[in-house]
Amino acid sequence: MPSWIPGAFRPLIVTAVLAGVVLTPAILTVLLWGGDFTDALFLVFAVTMLVSALAVVTMRDIIRCGLAMIVCFGALAGIYLIAGATLVAAAQVVVYIGAISVLILFAIMLTETKAAPSRLVFQTQAGPAGVAAVVLAVVIAITVTATDWGELGERLHTATDTLARVLFADYVLPFEIVGVLLLAAVIGGVFIAKRERGESL
Amino acid sequence: MDVLIPLIAILPLAGFAITALIGRRLDKEAHWIPVGLVVVAWAISMVVALLALTHAEPFGEQGFGVTLYEWIPAGNFVVEAGFFVDTLTACLLIVVTTIGMLVHVYSIGYMSHDPGYWRFFAYLNLFMFSMLLLVLADSFLVVFVAWELVGLSSYLLIGFWYRKRTAALAAKKAFIVNRVGDVGFALGIMLIFVSLGTLDIRETIERIGELEPLTISVISLLIFAGAMGKSAQFPLHVWLPDAMEGPTPVSALIHAATMVNAGVYLVARTSPIFAHAPEALVIVAAIGIFTAILAASIALTQTDIKRVLAYSTLSQLGYMFAALGVGAFTAAIFHLMTHGFFKGLLFLGSGSVIHAVHEEQDMRRMGGLRRKIPITYATMLVGSLAIAGIPPLAGFFSKDEILGESFKLGFAWVWLIGFVVAGLTAFYMFRLMGLTFWGEFRGPREIWDRIHESPRVMTVPLILLAIPSALLGLYLGLPLGDSTLHHWLEPVFHESTELLHHELEPYALFGIDGVLILASVGVAAVGIAIAWRLFGVELPGLPRRAPDPEAVRALTVRAPFLYRASLNKWWFDELNDLLFIRLGGRVAAALWWFDREIVDGIVNGAGAVTRASGSGLARVQTGRVQNYALGIAIGLIVMAGSYLWIAGR
Amino acid sequence: MIANSLDAYLILSGLLFAIGTFGFLARRNAISMLMSIELMLNAVNLAIVGFGAFVVGLAENGSVIAIMVIAVAAAEATVGLAIVIAIFRNRRTPLVDEYDAMRR
Repeated sequence: MPSWIPGAFRPLIVTAVLAGVVLTPAILTVLLWGGDFTDALFLVFAVTMLVSALAVVTMRDIIRCGLAMIVCFGALAGIYLIAGATLVAAAQVVVYIGAISVLILFAIMLTETKAAPSRLVFQTQAGPAGVAAVVLAVVIAITVTATDWGELGERLHTATDTLARVLFADYVLPFEIVGVLLLAAVIGGVFIAKRERGESL
Repeated sequence: MDVLIPLIAILPLAGFAITALIGRRLDKEAHWIPVGLVVVAWAISMVVALLALTHAEPFGEQGFGVTLYEWIPAGNFVVEAGFFVDTLTACLLIVVTTIGMLVHVYSIGYMSHDPGYWRFFAYLNLFMFSMLLLVLADSFLVVFVAWELVGLSSYLLIGFWYRKRTAALAAKKAFIVNRVGDVGFALGIMLIFVSLGTLDIRETIERIGELEPLTISVISLLIFAGAMGKSAQFPLHVWLPDAMEGPTPVSALIHAATMVNAGVYLVARTSPIFAHAPEALVIVAAIGIFTAILAASIALTQTDIKRVLAYSTLSQLGYMFAALGVGAFTAAIFHLMTHGFFKGLLFLGSGSVIHAVHEEQDMRRMGGLRRKIPITYATMLVGSLAIAGIPPLAGFFSKDEILGESFKLGFAWVWLIGFVVAGLTAFYMFRLMGLTFWGEFRGPREIWDRIHESPRVMTVPLILLAIPSALLGLYLGLPLGDSTLHHWLEPVFHESTELLHHELEPYALFGIDGVLILASVGVAAVGIAIAWRLFGVELPGLPRRAPDPEAVRALTVRAPFLYRASLNKWWFDELNDLLFIRLGGRVAAALWWFDREIVDGIVNGAGAVTRASGSGLARVQTGRVQNYALGIAIGLIVMAGSYLWIAGR
Repeated sequence: MIANSLDAYLILSGLLFAIGTFGFLARRNAISMLMSIELMLNAVNLAIVGFGAFVVGLAENGSVIAIMVIAVAAAEATVGLAIVIAIFRNRRTPLVDEYDAMRR
C-alpha cells in the first residue's frame, strides 16, 4: 500500500478492490454467456462465499477468521434467497450470523492466549489434508455431474405458509424433538463450561 | 512244591525288608535274621535241587514250573510272574545258595567293625533275592527285572563305603557299563516279543525255529550283549577290576561266584536260540577267549591282591563263554560251578589275609604269612591248585573239558589260546602265593607283630569251600567222557547240541583226549615252575626257594612295552575316557550351543519380532483427534473412489 | 442459466465441504476446527436447499429439513464450544495438537 494514501482511506480502497474482484466475473458472465440478472447475482454470492470460506481456513488471526465466517454465512443466505427458500435464508441470518457466530467470537475471546498468533497456523499434516480435500472435491464433482437426477422442474419458490403447514403437520415430532435437543444442549453447555468455585477464567 | 520254590526267593526278600526297617536298631545283632533266612533258603534249595536232579516228581525230565500270578494282563501282552526249575536251574541253585550262605556267615566276622553292619546284610539279602529270582524266572521280563535288581545290588554293595570317593566312582562305573549291556538285552527282549508275541522262555525256545535266521542271529547277539555287560566280557570288562573297591565278601559273592555268572546262565538257558545261529556262537567264542587272554595278561603284573583275583575272574569267565561259543554247554556250566567254589574261596581267603595284615592290599608289602595264618594259607593253596588245573582238584576237570571239547569240535584256535591262558593262570596264581605267603615279610615291623589268624566265623567258611574245590570235580566230572553232570544237563542241552550237529567221538582216554589232558597239565606245571623260580616256594617235600627279584626285574626289562601295557590294563580305561567322555563332552557342548543359540534364538526371536512390530504399529496412536480424522477422511475418499470406479465400469 | 441448474448448487456445496474438511484437518486451533465444522454443515444445508429447489415435490421438505439442520448445528456448536472452553481451562492452550494425553 503506497504510503502517501492517508490511513482512513485504506479500508475503503481494500473494499473497492475486493468488490471489483467479486463483481467482474458476474458482469462478464452476464455479458458473454447470455445469463440474466439472477445468474450474475448467484455468481457474486458464490464467489463471495468461496473466498470468505478460504479466508476462514487460512487466516492467521482467529478473530479475522470468525469475521470471514460471518461474511460466508451472509453470502449463503443470499444463495438461499435465489434458490427460493426464503425462510431458510432468514433462519440462516438470524441463527447462524446472529447467534452461532457471536457464540464463536465469544469463545475465541475466552480462549485467547498471548502467544497464539505468532505460532504455526497449520499442523504438520496440512499437506496430506490439502490433498485429501482436493481429491474429495473432485470426487464429489464427478459424482454430481455423472448422476442422472431425473425429471427436474424449474427453480421453485417456497411459500412460507405451505412451509408452515408442512412443518407443523408432517414434521411436528422432529420439531418438538429438536426443541428438546436445544434445551438439552443449552443445559449441557452451561454445565460443561461453568466456572468451578475458585477457578479463574 | 508250589510253595517251596517261591519261598527260596521270598525268604531273602523278607530278610532285606526286615533288616532295612529295623536293622539300625538291632545294630550288632542285625545279622541273625538275614543270615538265618538265607540258611533256611539254602536248605530248601538243596532239597529242591536234589529232587530236580534225580528227576523226581513233580520235576520229571523237563522240569517244573510254578505260576504265582498274572503280572501284566494287557490284552495281547500278558506276562506271568512264575518260576521254573529244571536241572540247569538246580545246578545254579546249588552254587548260588551255598556260596551265598557261606559269604553271609563270613561277613559276620569280616564286617564286625563296620558302622554300616546292618546295611550290609540288608543289601546282601537284596542281592540274594535278585539273583535267585533271576535263576528261577521263567519269563524274559522277570529275568530282566531281576537282571536290573542284581545290577542295583551290585551298585549298592560296591559303593558300600560311599564316603570313599573311589568306591562311589567304581559303583557308578559298574552300573553304567552294565547299563550299556542291558540296553542290548532289552532290545533283544523287545525283538523276541515283536517277532514271536511271547516273553515266556520255554515258549520262545520252542518256537524260535519259526523266525528267519537273520532275526535269530540278531536276537542272540543282543542277548549276548546283555551277558557281556553283566559278565564283564570285552569291551565291557572295565568295571570288574574297579569293583574291588567294595568289601571283600562282596567281591567274593557277586564278582566271583554269582552275579557275573548270570550272563553265562542266560546264554546257557537260551542255548537253543543260539544253536539256531551258529555265526553268533562263533562271535561269543571269540569274545570269550579274547577276554580270557587279555585279562590273564593283565593279571601277570598287578600288585593288589584283589585285582589279581578280579582279572583272574575275567579270564575264567572268558573260558566259560568260549565253551558256550564252541557248543560245549555242559562244560561251561561245569566250569561255572567249580569256578564259583574255588574263586569264592580265593576271594574270602584274600579277605582273611587283608584282615590279618590290617587292611593292606598291596602284595609287595606282604610275604611269609604262611606261618602266621595257617588255615587261610592252606585253603588258599587248595584254591590255587584248583584254579591252575592240577588234577585231581575240581578246576582240572572243568578246564580240561572246555579245552578238550574246543579241540574236538574243530575250534583249534580256541584251544590254542585257552592252552596259553592255562599256563598264564597257573603262573600268576602261584606268583600270588609266593608274594603273599612265602619268603620274608616286607611290611612294617609293627604290623608283623600283630598278625593273627581270623576268627572261626571266617575260617570255617574257608574250609567249607575248600572241600568242594577239591572234590567237586571228582563227583561231577567222572566218569570221563560221560560225566554225572553231563547226565544231569542232557535234557536241557540235548536239542541245542543236536542242532549244531555235534557228533562227539567216543572219549578216547588213550587217544586224543589223553594227549590233551597231558598238554594242559603240562602247561600248568610249566607255569607253576616258572612262578616258583621267580617268586619262591616253601612247600613240604620241595627244596625251599627264595623269591628272586633280580630275575623278575631282568624279565621286565627285556619286554618293557608288554610290561607297561599289562600294568596299565592295556590302557582301556584311558581309551574309554577319550572316546566317550571327552568326545562325548564335545558333542554335548555342540548340541548345547545349538539348543541355546538356534532353538532358543528362534523362540526368543519370535517374541522380539512381536514386540518390535507392536511398538512400531503403536506409533499410529498419537492421541490427537485430527490425525485420526485424517485417517477417516482418507478412508472415506478411498471407499468413495473405489465405489465410483466400480460403478463406472 | 447457471442459477437454474442443480449441478451448480451441488458443485458449490461440494467445494464448500472440501474447504471445510481441509480446515478441520489442518488447523491447530480448536475453535478453528469448530468453525470448519460449521462450514461443512452449511455446505450440506446448501445441498439440501438445492434439492428442495429443483426436485418436484420436495420444495417444502427441503426447507424444513434445512431449518432442522440449522437448529441442530446451533446445539452442536453450543456444546462443542463449551467443551473447548472446559479443556482450555485445564490445558491453558487452545491448540489441539497439544491434547495428546491418549498417546501410546
